[in-house]
Amino acid sequence: MLTEIREGKALNPVVKHITQEKINLYAEASGDFNPIHIDESFATKTPFGGTIAHGMLSLAYVSEMMASNFGRSWLSGGKLGAKFKEPARPGDSLTINGKIDCIEQKDDVSYANCNFECRNQKDETIVTGEAVVKFQSDRK
Amino acid sequence: MSDKTISYEELIPGYKFPPATHELSASLVSKYLKAVDSAGDGFVPPLAITALAIATMAGSIPLLPGTTAIHASQDLEFFKLVPIGTTIECHTGVVQKEKVQSGKATIALLT
Repeated sequence: MLTEIREGKALNPVVKHITQEKINLYAEASGDFNPIHIDESFATKTPFGGTIAHGMLSLAYVSEMMASNFGRSWLSGGKLGAKFKEPARPGDSLTINGKIDCIEQKDDVSYANCNFECRNQKDETIVTGEAVVKFQSDRK
Repeated sequence: MSDKTISYEELIPGYKFPPATHELSASLVSKYLKAVDSAGDGFVPPLAITALAIATMAGSIPLLPGTTAIHASQDLEFFKLVPIGTTIECHTGVVQKEKVQSGKATIALLT
């Protein structure tokens, strides 16, 4: 959890390693059996040249990063907008970073507006976007 | 998950997919947490709910031969904590349908 919520504060990052086994597990857990994710012979014939991770798997890592920084405030009052820029592939190591851009206050409720980026080991952007967390403020 | 598939032409803005019910059992949440390599926090991860809703919808979208479906963007909002064991009903629909040409490829964007 963050010890202080202030503008400019970097969020604690999350690092995850993608494997085909994890992709297969995600397909089982989510019910998304799109062959681009799990069928190597199908995926090699596509423009991707091989299997790719589900976009929602990368986004799950973003959500974990937000939950680890904001706790239940994220789970019960989070808002997320994400764009998938490049596919994550088996063997990729993903680092999810974020920062609090600004804090807005309406009545007794504060909103932390954050940006986030998920990058692979080649420093390519995989997912980018904005997240907003609603939390009770003790600032007057 | 719905086993009904529809034709691509039927996917027009305003189309509603059949609602789907999911029981967010402890075993389902545990399977999801293992897949996303996370310890969890005693509640259903909001992205697990989203994943189920998307997979249900995607399972009823027919893909033409030679096409691949991928995720381009996502907007989400979470309203409350969801206890493990909750049963949810997912309602999904088509908001927008576009076709763009990119080189030799035709890209259909469904929102």
